[in-house]
Amino acid sequence: MKSEQTDFECEIAQLLVSSLNLALDPVSIDPEEPLFREGLGLDSIDMLEIALAISQHYGIQIRSDDPENATIFASLRALAAAIKARRA
Amino acid sequence: MAQAWFEKRERGSGWGMRVARTLVLALGRRTGRALLWPITAYFFCFLREGRIGLRRYYEALEGRRPSLRTVFAHYLTFARTILDRAYLLARHPDAPPYEIRGFEAVRSCLDRGRGAVLLGAHLGSFEAARAAASLRPELKVQVIMNVGVSRKLNETLGALDPGAQDSILALGGAASLLRVKEILAEGGLVGLMGDRALGAEPTYEAEFLGRVARFPLGPLRLAATLQVPVFFFTALYRGAATGACRYELVFEPLCEPPPEAAARVDWMRRLGERYVETLQAYCRAAPDNWFNFYDFWQVQDSGSPRRRTPDDGGDDRVGRARMERSDAPHDVGPRGER
Repeated sequence: MKSEQTDFECEIAQLLVSSLNLALDPVSIDPEEPLFREGLGLDSIDMLEIALAISQHYGIQIRSDDPENATIFASLRALAAAIKARRA
Repeated sequence: MAQAWFEKRERGSGWGMRVARTLVLALGRRTGRALLWPITAYFFCFLREGRIGLRRYYEALEGRRPSLRTVFAHYLTFARTILDRAYLLARHPDAPPYEIRGFEAVRSCLDRGRGAVLLGAHLGSFEAARAAASLRPELKVQVIMNVGVSRKLNETLGALDPGAQDSILALGGAASLLRVKEILAEGGLVGLMGDRALGAEPTYEAEFLGRVARFPLGPLRLAATLQVPVFFFTALYRGAATGACRYELVFEPLCEPPPEAAARVDWMRRLGERYVETLQAYCRAAPDNWFNFYDFWQVQDSGSPRRRTPDDGGDDRVGRARMERSDAPHDVGPRGER
């Protein structure tokens, strides 16, 4: 059962779809689904693209030595939560 | 299948490199070079796949089957570059000389505080060049091996490089590409290989020496994302005929960064075309520097053409989403879909 996107997750989903040019309805992304590999199937270059889009839109730099790198990109939900936490 | 072979082969050359390094340090250059003959003879006799690969290469290049002598000399050139790499890494007084061509354009890029991507190939000795470059700070290059390659392979390659470990960036997901971006933002140089497609990597097709070959799409995608100028780079081994060995480090501009996201597909196509054309020109200029010892043109899948698919096969939805993306490989490359 797919869980519902929050408003902010929806905003991030739109950013993902537009920056990666995915042929996908942003609303259809399950916020709990893994973004990489077996989930949405994105790869490390896509991840770099997402990191760049996030820094452009939200002014948040994700550094290579960030200890949370492994979890930030785990899912749409994790990504949205990390952005929210860092903006605050 | 191809991947298993490739890993096996890399272990083999790793062994060769270790032996070569030990020889250099213990016995000196003259002895080291003499010992390359039996070592080369061994690989020449037992690496059948390498011989077949070279035969295909020379057939494509010269339109006729190469003599055994040509193929043996080719193997020997490869062995010599490995030996030279050890001299260079050891900063040995016998280290071969090298000259640099075309670096001005790269330098003007760096002077403006911009980084650049160096798109190389298994042509000449990227490794020897890197060792040479370690002596000159302005040439300091961070190297990532093929984008999308298995981690096992990267670890193997990393372990082979005790002398210059810090300038190799192992590809391992998120952090490594963020690091690439940071290096470029600091005005650094990043080197990638653009010729070998491995495993389930997405590829594009291009005519190479008269026959259609597949090249990895990852390096082009990465370059497009990084938004920096791209240069072709090679370090050719010269003087195999005369025995006076020297290297020629060559830099050649390929493409300025893509103007905008919408233009990326065209940009990648152009970059792919220019890369393959340039690679071809240098193959013709220095035929014995081609170090892909397998049938480069072999189509690795008997069935459907390799298209952009998830690395692990993935589920339906992923496949659809990725397949329909505008930068899918059937939109890129001089030949388009096969």
